[in-house]
This record gives sequence, structure tokens and C-alpha cells, in this order.
Amino acid sequence: MKTLRVKLAVPAIAAVMMLTACGESGGSEAASEASSETASAQSPDGMTVKEQIETRQAQLEKVGESFKAIVDQLKADSPDIAVIQEAAAVVPEATQGMADWFPEGSGPESGIETDALPAIWENMTDFQEKVVNMQEAAGKLNTAAQGGDMAAIGEAFKNTGGTCKACHDDYRLDD
Amino acid sequence: MTDNKAQTIIWDWTIRLFHWLIVLLIPLLWWTAEEGMMDWHRRLGLTMFALILFRLIWGVVGTWTARLLPMIRQLGSLRSYVRDLLARKHRPSFGHSPIGTLSVFALLGALSIQVGTGLFSVDVDGLESGPLAILISFKTGRDLADIHELNFDLLTILIALHIAAIAFYHFVLKANLVRPMVTGRRSDVQASSDISVRPIPLLSSVVITAICLYAVINVG
Repeated sequence: MKTLRVKLAVPAIAAVMMLTACGESGGSEAASEASSETASAQSPDGMTVKEQIETRQAQLEKVGESFKAIVDQLKADSPDIAVIQEAAAVVPEATQGMADWFPEGSGPESGIETDALPAIWENMTDFQEKVVNMQEAAGKLNTAAQGGDMAAIGEAFKNTGGTCKACHDDYRLDD
Repeated sequence: MTDNKAQTIIWDWTIRLFHWLIVLLIPLLWWTAEEGMMDWHRRLGLTMFALILFRLIWGVVGTWTARLLPMIRQLGSLRSYVRDLLARKHRPSFGHSPIGTLSVFALLGALSIQVGTGLFSVDVDGLESGPLAILISFKTGRDLADIHELNFDLLTILIALHIAAIAFYHFVLKANLVRPMVTGRRSDVQASSDISVRPIPLLSSVVITAICLYAVINVG
């Protein structure tokens, strides 16, 4: 339902872009040429921008999948601790090296579908700090899960979810 | 209007209550989703689920004008009804007109899809989900959440169409359709059936709805 807000935002942004484009005719064409170049250009790790974006999306989908598995168990009357342990172990592994998943040029300007906002590259230090916070929380969640204490798991899960949200509020397009 | 002209009851009180509760719930559901108040969105969504379920059951065992099958039967006169409408001739109906029937099915259908997908929806982070999402995978839950979002746009269009039709009847045909939905009464039609709520169909509809609601809440 957030699309309603997005729908209002799109014409507004488009209007602003048209106004600014008046000052530099042909500027948008140059930008789109540059973006198609970056999209096919390869980064040091040998991945195209498209591959980078798709890889990080696939990794974060694994996190969503794990979170759902944990939430399902936390909601259940008799939670299956083995399911929680398995899911909690996935998160630190799936998010390893996440701070490097967002190289310059892999934002929306690449022309590839991504919910990553340009704000990431404007505040890279803050963004990477938040990634580290999440990784730490996910590590603690995994430790709590392997420990098996449901109260501790619940608490650690809440904290981890909070670190996800902290980042998504500023750096991801509203769903 | 003459004083002694009998007012015919066309909508029973459950239909009217159902209608206006939905009018109240839809903006609240939209707003709670926009603001990310998912606990409230779930509670109100379950209320909507119960209302829709009750309405569908009432559409089988309820009063004559609430029943879905007689509505389908009168779709046969849709063409002539629309022809009259276009000629600005209005034939008041006892209950739903043929074109009103189409509106009911479209709105009830869209609301059913909305409630049905909402029960299974999962948010992008896997943190928020409907009460039945436990039965399906993350990816399926995400697909259903996408349908939930798209279908809301469809629902918005249908509601706009519904309001436009009410305005057309009001201003062009000089027929007030809002007042009967409040009072249940209309003076320009003849009753062809008794529209009084009987206790046994009402009680059984409420009980079946309550059992389903209980099952949905406790599935996890």
C-alpha cells in the first residue's frame, strides 16, 4: 500500500528533475549513457553491476526467509528450537562481507531495478556502521539460538530486527 | 410524498451495519499499513475477514435482498436495465438492481482477495506476516503480499466507481441510494419479500464466522 506514497513521489521527483534538467540540456542523456556503461562494466571482483545487485538481493532474501522461519516459531505455541537454530545460523553467513556489496555505481543510477537509495553512497560511513551493527546483532542472535533459551532468543531477535529497520528506514525505498 | 405511503424495508440491519463498518475499516486498514502499524493492521484485517465471511454466508442464508443467487438470476435483465438508464429512465429495484449486482460481486470479490492474500502475506524483511503465513514459504508469502498491494489499487478503483454511480443516481436520476443504506427503507418500491432478520440464520452465520476466525487466529 506504500505504492500510494510512491506514486505521489514519482511525479514530484520527475517535476524536480525536469526543472533541474533545463539548466543542462542533454544532461540526462549523458547520464543514461554512463549508466549503461557501468551496468556492463566489471568490478574488481569480476561481477557486473547487474550481478552485484542480484547477488546482494539474493543474499538478503535468504535473511528474510530465515527471519520468517524464526517468526513462525516464535508465534507457535510450541516452538521448534531446531528450526530456529538452523535459521539463525544462516543470517551471519548470508550477510558476511555485506559492507562491500554496495560499490559506487550500484544504486538506482545503474538503471537496474534496486530499492537501494542514493543516500547509501552519500552517507557511506553511517551505512557501513549500521551494517556492522546488524552483523553483531545477528551474531548474538545465532549464539542465543544455539544456547536454546527462548527468552534470550526473543530478545536477540528483536534487537536484530531493529538493526535491519534502522538501515532500511533511511537507505531502502519504501516497500 | 404522501403521509400514508408505506415505506418498504429493502436492506436488513446486518447488511447496513456490514456496509458502514467496511466504509470505516478500509481507510483505517490503508492508514495502518502506510504507517507500518502492523499489529493494528492485523487486528483490523481479521475484523474485515470476519465481516466478509459473515456477508458471504448471509448471502446464502440471509434475507432475500442479501442473497447472492437471486442477484445472479436478475443479471438476465442487465441489458434492458442499462438501456433504460442511458435513456434516463430509472426503474427502482427491490434490493440490488442488475448493475448494482455487478458492483456487489466486484467489490465483494476484490475484498475477498484482499483479505485472503492478507492472511498469508509476508513483508520484505520476513519480520511481519499474516496469521496464516506460517503455512507457506517466504517467497510465496512475498508473492501474495504483491497481489495484496496490487489488488488494493483495484479495490480503490472499484470504490471510486461505486461512489460515482451513487452520484449519478443522485444527480441525474434523482434517486437517493444513500438514505436507504442508512435507514433500510425506500418508499418507491413494492416489497416482494419479507426483510426481517430471523434468529436461526443469523445465529448460525455468526457462529460459523466465529469458528473460522478462531481457527485462523490459532493456526500458528
